Amino acid sequence: MALKPRIGIFDFTGCEGCELNHLNFEDQLLDILEHVEIVEWREAMDGRADELDIAFVEGSLSTPDCIERIHEIRRKSKVLVAVGACAVLGGINAMKNIRPIEEVREEVYGKDKYLFPTLPALPLSAVVEVDHSIRGCPMTQLEFLKVFTSLVMGKQPVQEDYAVCVECKLKENECVVEKGMICLGPVTRAGCDAHCPTFGQMCIGCRGLVTDPRLEAMEEILVAQGLSMDEARKKLQMFNANQLEGVTS
Amino acid sequence: MTEHKLMDPAGARDLYLPEMAEIVAVKDLTDQEKLYEIVLPEGRELGHKPGQFVAVSMFGAGEAPFSVSSSPTRLGSFELGVRKVGMLTEMMHRLVPGEKVGIRGPFGNGFDMEALRGKDLLIIAGGIGLVPMRSLINYAIDRRDDFGRLIICYGSHSDAELLFNDERKLWDQDPRIEHHVTVDVGSDEWTGNTGVITTLIPRLELDLSRTVACVCGPPVMYRYVQLALRSKGLPEKEIFMSLERRMKCGVGKCGHCQINNTFVCTEGPVYNGLELKSLQEAL
Amino acid sequence: MTAMMLDNDRVVDFVTHLQENKPVYAPHAKGRSSFVFDQVEKPDDVVLDYPRTLHSIKKFFLPPQDDLLDFNLVENSFTEPELKPFDAVFLGVHSYDLHAVMRLDYVYSQGNPERNYLARRQGAVFVGVSFTPDKHHFSGSVGIGTNDTTGFDVFLHIVDDGYAVEALTEAGTDLLQGFDMPVYEGALPASAHFEQHIYVPQGKLLDVFDHGYHSVVWSDEAAHCTGCGTCNLICPTCSCFNVEDHVDVTVTHGTRTRSWDSCMLRGFGEVAGGEVFRENLADRQRHRVYRKFKYISDETGEPWCVGCGRCTMNCTAGISIVNIVNRLVNEYDKSRAAV
Repeated sequence: MALKPRIGIFDFTGCEGCELNHLNFEDQLLDILEHVEIVEWREAMDGRADELDIAFVEGSLSTPDCIERIHEIRRKSKVLVAVGACAVLGGINAMKNIRPIEEVREEVYGKDKYLFPTLPALPLSAVVEVDHSIRGCPMTQLEFLKVFTSLVMGKQPVQEDYAVCVECKLKENECVVEKGMICLGPVTRAGCDAHCPTFGQMCIGCRGLVTDPRLEAMEEILVAQGLSMDEARKKLQMFNANQLEGVTS
Repeated sequence: MTEHKLMDPAGARDLYLPEMAEIVAVKDLTDQEKLYEIVLPEGRELGHKPGQFVAVSMFGAGEAPFSVSSSPTRLGSFELGVRKVGMLTEMMHRLVPGEKVGIRGPFGNGFDMEALRGKDLLIIAGGIGLVPMRSLINYAIDRRDDFGRLIICYGSHSDAELLFNDERKLWDQDPRIEHHVTVDVGSDEWTGNTGVITTLIPRLELDLSRTVACVCGPPVMYRYVQLALRSKGLPEKEIFMSLERRMKCGVGKCGHCQINNTFVCTEGPVYNGLELKSLQEAL
Repeated sequence: MTAMMLDNDRVVDFVTHLQENKPVYAPHAKGRSSFVFDQVEKPDDVVLDYPRTLHSIKKFFLPPQDDLLDFNLVENSFTEPELKPFDAVFLGVHSYDLHAVMRLDYVYSQGNPERNYLARRQGAVFVGVSFTPDKHHFSGSVGIGTNDTTGFDVFLHIVDDGYAVEALTEAGTDLLQGFDMPVYEGALPASAHFEQHIYVPQGKLLDVFDHGYHSVVWSDEAAHCTGCGTCNLICPTCSCFNVEDHVDVTVTHGTRTRSWDSCMLRGFGEVAGGEVFRENLADRQRHRVYRKFKYISDETGEPWCVGCGRCTMNCTAGISIVNIVNRLVNEYDKSRAAV
């Protein structure tokens, strides 16, 4: 390989858990650095870059300032990768979108709310063109490495577009629904290797919905498990408010 | 209940191991399609029939099926026409002569050339469907006396997307080839036929007792081409269509290309109209 | 041949005896109420009285993830991973699961025989055990009783206080060598009763599917289906797979891996250009069920569904293959009556 791709890592509204996961690549960090040069990363280093080959961007866009900054990142980056549920879907931040924005602002900031302009929490793709997505809350190293190696090879990363159930079944897990738990696996995009159900936890849908999700069938299952229709919707909205409202596909 | 016999693995082949074959020439067909000339190890012949396909491997990107575009009558190498549509083909488009790709195959039934002997061949190709049909066309050209008339109807979306222009010029000049071309949308320079491919069919004079139609194109084309040919009086069993399905194995195992009870990779991709009628998922 | 009596309190000794020559794979408890086939480490952990395992023993011969080749991106070359026979004793296999293996034997022997499967399949010795049908088993309806010994080397029939042990092949007799058991005095039990049935006289099943293609059953059932693919992925006779290349982080090596796939997934029927040729879940449901009862069955004369009940009990939407087939049978009978 001739020149190493110059990469930057950026964050917006989110818990920074995905970024922390970058730092957790203890075993692979040296391999990764073989292939790229990190030139901008607020969480780990000083300095800014004018031009980037790949920008990895975490967090949702929730203030006017965010909008300005994401445009700037897009302008200077050849490839833009949305990292984590907040950047890809709006994340749990987007739960506020289903309520009046002023009400939310008041609840959070109280009498000082005028100091804090706020917008509905948006995924990056609602504002700029996103080339690739690394899903999940937080993003997994497994998927980061998959996208990363694809980009280094110069090929399009493949996105799983089938249910978490597929990966869960391949691992011969006991179905958590069988144990009486609620699980959004049947309509949630795989790619996490069914991480949560493997550890006996329900899938809360952090990776977004599959293409053409069968929401009515999913709601029917949740209702049969004892949820009200309203509760069933809320479960699905936790990570997918924007997708359910048509903001993202 | 029958007990199925388990075969001895000594009699089984390694179905999934490709042969590393060398690309000896790359030609731009349009800005989206390239033609690759490929030679197998030790110059061995591919030994394919027109209408058959191979699986091309690009390590790291995977495998995909491509119809062979060259005729088996032309020895020493074979050709594949590749449109840039996805990850694997995008990577293929970066290949240069001297580089190697993995090849498995040839797979599929192909056209039954013995059954076509002595017939008038009506070739109908839509868009990139000309790539596989070129194998059949050149076969008929090289064994011209084995066949009756050779009628080629070729339709393309626009004149900029027309393929094999040099070769088709030769077809135009050959008195024993009837070559008709139409485009859906012509540019200002286009002076030929305009309209979808089915508009070429009504004006053909066919000897129905000896005509066989061989069709390849986008899925949407087949229904209308069949209707047009049927209304000319051509029986369904004389209309052969080459289907396209995504496949992972090419050897009848992975299930991806299965339509109803047939595996396109082993029993197809060429089916006649009668066979397709019973395959409800085909078109 | 006479059967021998294995008392319940000698089962652990029996497992230990089996382990002397070959590794033994047997059902173990998993999670709250599930079972999986696994290599036996402690004979105590083996569970012989179980309803069904999550995966069938298919997973040993056709692994969920199976590397077809290892490639080197720098040299543009590949090597084939070694294919080793699964030379082991499979203890506690239910009749329907071995029938499923015999169907896979057919799939991988006919047409283009596949070395990957056939090589792994050599050397296996099967010790069956009868079972007590629960509300999902219906193998009796497809001709596979609880005590069907077809294909087994040894079979353990559940009887009072233990098992009546039948050696059925030479390999089976060899396996029992050196483990003394008294002769079993009673008659061998017949198949246990099934709660769940496909209501169709044997032999007429294939006719039913000749008529069911356009049935309203498909869209009715699909309305509740999430299209998650579970029904295929736990089916002991499903054998479709996907193939993908995986590249490691050094970007120098990788593997071409096949993994179990499902025709219930939207992407399964996608062709170049993004068109999906079984776009509706109703079409996919029909394809799934026709693969079990018609397409390959027309060729071999037997249903490809072995009645294990896994697809029904694992369906979170409660879709039942027995219900689907019975509805088709009803429609068929009605149309016959009308003629």
